[in-house]
Formats: sequence, structure tokens, C-alpha cells
Amino acid sequence: MNRKRNSKARRSVCILLSLCLAAVLLGGCGKKQIQQTDNEEEAVEIPMILTVSPTSGKKSEQELVDAFNITYKGKYHIAVDWIMETEDDYRQNLKRLNVTDKLPAVITDLRMLPSYYRLLVEDHRIVDLAPYIEADQEWKQMIEPVVLDSCSEEDGSVYLGPVSTAAFSCSGIFWNEELFEQAGIEEFPQTWEEFWDCCEKLQARAITPLGLHTDGTGWSAMLLATAEMADSEEGAAFMNELYPGSYQKDCIYHMADTLQKLYKYTTKDAMNADFDVAYNNFIAGKAAMLANGYWMIDQLPEEFREKVRFSPFPGNKLISSPETFGWAVVDSYSDEVKQGAVEFLKFRTKKNKKLKEDLFSQDQNTSRLLQDYIRAYRGQPQIVPNYQVKWNSVLQESTLGEALPALAQKKITQADFVRMLTESITESKKEE
Amino acid sequence: MKKREKRSSIQIRYMKYTVCLLLSAMVLCGMGVGWVVQKNQETVMMDNYNTMCENLGAAMDLLFEKTDEATADCIVYDGVQKSLRKAAMSRTQRSALSRYFAFINLDDVAEYCYVDNKKNVYTRSYSKLTYHKFRESDMERFLQGSYATTTWFWTKDTLFGTGKDALFIGRYIRNMNYEHEPGMLFLKMDPAFFQGITGDSDLAEEGILMQIMDADGEVCFQNNDSDEARKQLILAKERILATEGNGMIISRGKIGQGMLCAYRQKESGMTVSVYVPDHVLHAGIGRILFVMFLIFLLTMVLALILSVYFSRIFSRPIQKISKKMAGFHGNDYTRMEELHTKTELDQIGHSYNEMLGNIEQLVAEVKSQEKELRTVEVNMLLNQMNPHFLYNTLDTIYMLARINKEETTMRMIQALSKYLRLSLSKGEEIVSVADELENVRNYMEIQQIRNADLFRYEIHCEVDADKERMLKLVLQPLVENAIKYGFDGQSAHYRIEITVRREEEELVLTSYNSGTPISPDACEKINGLMQMSIAEMKESFKSKKNGYGLVNVLTRLRLAYEGRFSFYVIAKEDGTTFVIRIPRLVLDRV
Repeated sequence: MNRKRNSKARRSVCILLSLCLAAVLLGGCGKKQIQQTDNEEEAVEIPMILTVSPTSGKKSEQELVDAFNITYKGKYHIAVDWIMETEDDYRQNLKRLNVTDKLPAVITDLRMLPSYYRLLVEDHRIVDLAPYIEADQEWKQMIEPVVLDSCSEEDGSVYLGPVSTAAFSCSGIFWNEELFEQAGIEEFPQTWEEFWDCCEKLQARAITPLGLHTDGTGWSAMLLATAEMADSEEGAAFMNELYPGSYQKDCIYHMADTLQKLYKYTTKDAMNADFDVAYNNFIAGKAAMLANGYWMIDQLPEEFREKVRFSPFPGNKLISSPETFGWAVVDSYSDEVKQGAVEFLKFRTKKNKKLKEDLFSQDQNTSRLLQDYIRAYRGQPQIVPNYQVKWNSVLQESTLGEALPALAQKKITQADFVRMLTESITESKKEE
Repeated sequence: MKKREKRSSIQIRYMKYTVCLLLSAMVLCGMGVGWVVQKNQETVMMDNYNTMCENLGAAMDLLFEKTDEATADCIVYDGVQKSLRKAAMSRTQRSALSRYFAFINLDDVAEYCYVDNKKNVYTRSYSKLTYHKFRESDMERFLQGSYATTTWFWTKDTLFGTGKDALFIGRYIRNMNYEHEPGMLFLKMDPAFFQGITGDSDLAEEGILMQIMDADGEVCFQNNDSDEARKQLILAKERILATEGNGMIISRGKIGQGMLCAYRQKESGMTVSVYVPDHVLHAGIGRILFVMFLIFLLTMVLALILSVYFSRIFSRPIQKISKKMAGFHGNDYTRMEELHTKTELDQIGHSYNEMLGNIEQLVAEVKSQEKELRTVEVNMLLNQMNPHFLYNTLDTIYMLARINKEETTMRMIQALSKYLRLSLSKGEEIVSVADELENVRNYMEIQQIRNADLFRYEIHCEVDADKERMLKLVLQPLVENAIKYGFDGQSAHYRIEITVRREEEELVLTSYNSGTPISPDACEKINGLMQMSIAEMKESFKSKKNGYGLVNVLTRLRLAYEGRFSFYVIAKEDGTTFVIRIPRLVLDRV
């Protein structure tokens, strides 16, 4: 009996051991897999293209983007594709991106391309921000009425983000105090006569008075020329006209004279060059003046910034169109991306408002250049609209680029120049 | 003819167990390793084909990107942009633009068709495609809903009139600067286009099914047209259509008799899938198992051979011992050869030889005892022939002595009569201590009469003499010995002292006699008797004159108490003491 029980127990142990062996064999061969779950929700990515200055290597709007990404960490993330190209190249790239349906969620500089802007509006490629602004009283209250007005369409739609403040959209003249002193000029000219005298004095001292260029829309030269044109009543009225029907005006002839005169006082490399050439000449001390806007203050090298002063154009004029920045949200993205992009525009509005408040409340503690700017802005200047938001695209994108160097080099007359501008209207209308 | 060696049953059993163990190990290992190998192979193969599917998907992504770039180049091409302006292009310009599309940076374009926003159609020079036919083909429906994205679609070729299914790539072409009606570009792709995805690999030969299908489940390409392949691919198609998402939508999906991986290209919605049948997944496992089986088989054969070889080391000596034991019939006490296996078997063999010696000795003893027993039995028979007659005779003598008033004779006869009665004790061997003491007292009475009061005797009993029982006739031989050898006749105060007492759990019987103590040699010899066998004891006291009584007592004690008692003699100047110690337990058991 006992023997039987023992053999049974022995058999059970054997079976158990065999099973254990099999289990160990099988278990040993198994691979342990550790599954990790990522519970962290991914932030909504908002694609954007921004430029890196080919001259300074500075990334435009980097501080703004970084601040937004920190503030909205985990919710939204501006994914910037930094591209080293000129502003003009960037604008052309926007067109290409649109026709290939690859626009980023947030685009800028839109208002400088009037026909392209119209195309985007007509094709519903950009978001009407009006409902968002209406729904967000906080944002609405941040927006300066003049900025909202300039960004609004006739039907009340708002396609361009009213992100800026009028205070930060003004252009005047940056001038090199050291060079002025070398020429014995103590104050910046107040009138255009004094301005031309100033140019003569500088040139007499072998100092190139102006940093200019002809490519793109000839920005720095056109700022000076349109500001000078607005000195007359007719000129000022013309500058307020949106998409003028004709350039056959005395003031335009006068502007052509002015442009030809301006190019007499610039560097030799100004022809067929873009703004970067003029800028480089200015910061290298090869040109005493450069017309540009507030945004250049931050871009100037710090050691050079001390030498630079800012003044309104002669006749106390500043050129400003707050909608120039032309920030817009592309419509082809998902609602959450669009919402994030709108938040980004609001964030920029808020930041600009705060910046303005800080700047204007501590003007004594800021740099001399900023004090100059604040003084110019507060000096009740005559605000001349930016020609880029008023004139047709053909003129800006092809006519000026062709006509300006020819005019500067006297290859064409002022009459030819005006005719070319007028033809641009015809050309433009043909396509509209 | 050489006589075949008979196998040891231990060896056979050992081999059976070895075979069983090996078979169990083989089956268990075969199952375990087979399962693990199969799973591993499946995992590895699945990983490989999954990666392959991902690569195919990546190739499709690249191909889409390429078509996207090629059509994007067309969009921004000056001539194309010009064709979208309001002003009509000259015939030369249109002709140049028609040719432009023939040279776009994309392979396997079978046909192309560009329609501008002024109803001009741009195709290959031989094509007779008109705007009317283009409208009839209703190709534009595939672009609806998109602004300018590249669209892949698989449809019947109603545009170029072949009527066969083909892949088309279409895109709206829009003016970059002005809001105008868009143009449309359609590229009809050659079937070889999909070769850009599969590359040179010939998956069909490996038994792997691969297919590309559009978002509606229309199969655009498959590498195997057999009925079996179609059946499998239908299952795959159903699974793919039921799965949403982009990228690797199905990884290692088990369907039917195989595994499915599928990658959905995000922009085109096309899905490339790889179906690997189970027989491909498991190819090679059979070979692995076969090799494993061979290894096991070889191992088993080797193990058996080694088992036979090594088991012989043990089985042969065991066989030898077994043979020797089986052949032992009690007559032949020849020792077997000593074993030299360097194992416990050597000791077993040695112990067997010792055991043989002991048996031989015991057999001799038994024979001697039997002989003695027979003699005793004869004597006893003689002695018991007529005890009543002896007692009656003694009574008659006693009566005569009484009549004659012979006191001494009366005492002697009375003592003798009691002695004989107790000695015989009805044939019983175990008597009460009282009877034993009475017996020795009678004996000593007789001896006193015979030896004219040569000695005095004393008996001390410290136990309950009626209850304690012991072997009879143990003390009398000791007293006889004392009278015989203890008294040299020079002293008038000889004394014999018998003591019975209990010490712890032993019954201690002592017989002391004064006078000349026993010689040291005799003392040593007597004390050595306990270590001897009965035969040896008898051998050492062969003469019936000397020590025969002691040997007789010891033999009887041994037979009665199985050697579990002690017997020794103490020699002192004033006399000799014999001591017998019998444990209480032994007394109770007998």
C-alpha cells in the first residue's frame, strides 16, 4: 500500500519537474516587453515660416515665438521653419506655397502684395478674424482702433491680424551722428531744403549721404520720395488714395525728380541691389542715412546703435500703415490649428501693447535712439500711408524694380517713369 | 561460438529509464524549443516584413513627393502661369507649353493633359484630345474639394480613350498673383510607375503577396494574379478598408492563413500592403526541427552506448555478487574474489565474504549445540525416567534415618530431596528467585554435611524473591566452583555469601567466597568469556573438570537472555566474587 503511494508521489514529482522544466525553457526564451504609454498630450503644432536675416543671421520674431511657446507649452507650439532669404524672396515664396497648397498656418507681409492678398481673400484662403475678435473682448480691447480700422475690409471682415500698434509701424530716417558731426551738421534737417543741403554737405566731406537700393519696391528710396511728395497737398492726398487709377499726376512727376535726385547721393552698389545692401552700407558707416521703420532699432548691432539717431522725414512726417505687417491665418488647417494661430496673433497684440506701454512710460530710461523714436512719434507728425499698401501689385512687384534703376541712371526720363507706373495700372486691371 | 553475455536486469532497467528520460527530454525540448523557435521565427519574419512594408510605404511617400514636386514645378512654370492670365497666349506659346509637359521631371508618365482656364488643352502632339472630350471624361470630379493639392486616383481611362484602369495624377493649377479660374493638370501613369515602389525585389517568387489599392479599395497593383492570391487579398482588402488612419495602419495583423502589414499613404490615400502566408513565415522551422531531431537522436544513441558502457562497471560486479549469492547452498563457504570497482560494491563484496565466514562459524556452533542438546536430552530423559520412584526412595531412606535417629542423614536426605525437586522443577527453566535461593541453600547444606562444616554460608536477598524470576541453576555452579577451588583447607572460617539485589534496572546476583582468590590468569580468562562465541567458550574450557560448570551457566544464560547480561569475576585478597547482572527488561521478556 505504502509502496504504491510512494511510487504515485514519485510520478507526480516527476511530472511536476518536467512541467517546471518546460516552463523554465519556454519562459527563459520569452522576451520581456515593456510597454510604455505616453500619456502626455501633444501640443497642437502651428507651422510658420520666418526669415533669418542673410546679413545679421538674426531670426525675425524669435523672441515672440519663444515666449508664445513657453506660455502655451503643452497646448500650442509654433513650429517655425527658419529660412534665410530676403523679405522679397519670402513674399514670392508665399505665392508659390499658396498655389501648391502648402502655406504655413500663419503668414506675414501679406498686405505688401495687394493682388495676392485679394487672391487669398477671394479664394477663402485666409481666415476672417472678425468673429474671433468679436468673441474675445480681451483681445478686442487690446487692439488700437486705428489698427483695427486699417486691417478691416469694407464689409467688416478682418483678414489681417491687427497685431501691431500704430506706434511701432512708423518709418522715418535713421542717421549716423558721427558722420553728421564729421560734416559739421549738428541737427537733423527739418525741411526738405535743409535735407538736400545736408546731403550736399555730407557729400562734400566725401560721405555718402544715403543708403538706397532699387530691387523689390525700392523701399528706402520710395519712403523718402513718398514722404517728400506728401509735403504738397496733392501729394498727401495721392498717398491716401487706395489703388490710384492714374499716376499721371504732377506729384508723381515731382516724385520721379526726387527719386532721381536721391540716387545722386547714394552708394554705387545701390543699383539692382536689395535692401540688405543699403542696410549693410549704413551699419558699415558707408552711408549716413537710411530710411526705415521702428523694427530696425532692434536689428542694429549694439555698438553701432549708439551712433545712430532717428528723426521724422523733413516736414515732420512719418510713414505708417499698421496693416503693413500683414499677419494672417491660413484657412486650410484644422480648427484647432487655426484657433492656436489666432491665439498667437492675440499673443503678439498683447505683447506689442505691453511693449508700447513700457516704452512710453519709461522713455527717459531707454536708449537715445528709442527716445528719438518716441519723440518723433509724439511730435504730432504728419502720417503718410505706406505706398506698399496703397499701390497696385504690378507696380510694386515688377514696374518699380525695372523703372527705378533706369530712372536713377537717367536711362529713362521722369515722364517715362510716370508712364511705366501708369501702364502698371492697365496691366494690373487686365488681370483683375 | 562465443556465448552471448546475459544482460543484467539492473542494466536493462537502467537503460529503459535512460531511454524514457531521454525520450521525455526530447519530447519536452522538442515541444518547447519548437514552440519558441516558431514564435521567434514568426516574430523575426514579421518584423522583417513589417519593415519591408514600411519601406514600401516610405517609397510611396517619396513617389508622391516626387509627383507633388513635379506638378509644383509645372504650376510655377512661367508658361503655365502665363496660360492662366486673362490675355490669351499665341499658338507658338501654346505649342511650346504642350511640349513642356513632355519633359517634366517624372518617370513613367504615359499621357498628360493640361487644360488652362481658357479651354485650351495641352497634350502630346499626337493626341486628338479636345476640350469637349475632356469635359466628357469628367476627370475634374477627382480634383473637387482640393485647392491645389496633388491628387492620385485610380480610374477607367475615359480621358485618353483606352478604357483601361490606370493611375492618374491630377492637380489644380492656379495663378500665383490673381484670382482667376484655375487650370487642371492630369498625368496618366504607366503601370511601371508602381515599380518605383516595389523596386527590383521579386516578392511573388518568395510567396509574398503585395498589393496597392486606392482609398475605395480598388486594386491598382498586385504582384500575383493567382486565384489563391486573390482570395487572400480579398481578406486583406476588407481588413484594410475597415482600418482608419495613415502610415502603418496594420502591423503584423493576423488574417486568414497569414500575416498582413499595410501602410496608407497620407496624401493619396493609397495603401500598400504585404501579405505573408504562414508557410512563408514558418519556412525553415521544419529544417530546424529536423536538425534538432537528428541531434536528439544522435544524443540518445550516444547516451545509450555510454549507458551500456558505464553501467557495466556496476552491473558486472553486481552480477558477480548475485551469481555467488544465488549459488550458495550452505555447503561451500569459498570466499568470492575481492572487488575493485572503487565503489560501495567493493564493500558489499567484502561484507559478503565476512558474512560467509560468520555463517560458517554459526553453522558449526549450531551443529555442536545440536549435538550437545541431543546428549542433554538423552540425559534428561534418563534423569526423568522415574523421579517419583527417586523421591519415594529418598522418603523411605529419610524415614529409616528418623527411626534410627540419624539426624545428619535426615538433614542430608531432606536437602538432597529438595535440591533434586527444585533442580528438576517440572522441566521449567525459569524459576522464582526464592526457588533458586532455596536450591542453592540445599546444595550448600549437603556440602556442609559432606565437608563437616568446612564453611559458613550466608544468603542475602534484597528483592521480592517470590515475584522475581530468573534462570534456574545459575547460582549452584558458582557455589560449587567456590567450594571446589576457593578453599585450600588451611583456614577454619571459610565463608560463602550469596547476594541478590537490584541495582537500578538490573538484577545483580553475586557469589562471594573467602579464601584463596582466583589467579589473575583464570580471572582474565573467565572475564574474556563474554567476548567469545559459545563454541569458543567451550573450546577454551575443554576439560569437564575445570570451568565446565561456568561455561555451562554462561551458555544457558546466553541462550536464555540472548547475551544481554554481564558476567564477570572480581579477585581480591580476601576472596573472589562472581557477578551476574541481568537487565530487568530482559528478565521480564523471558
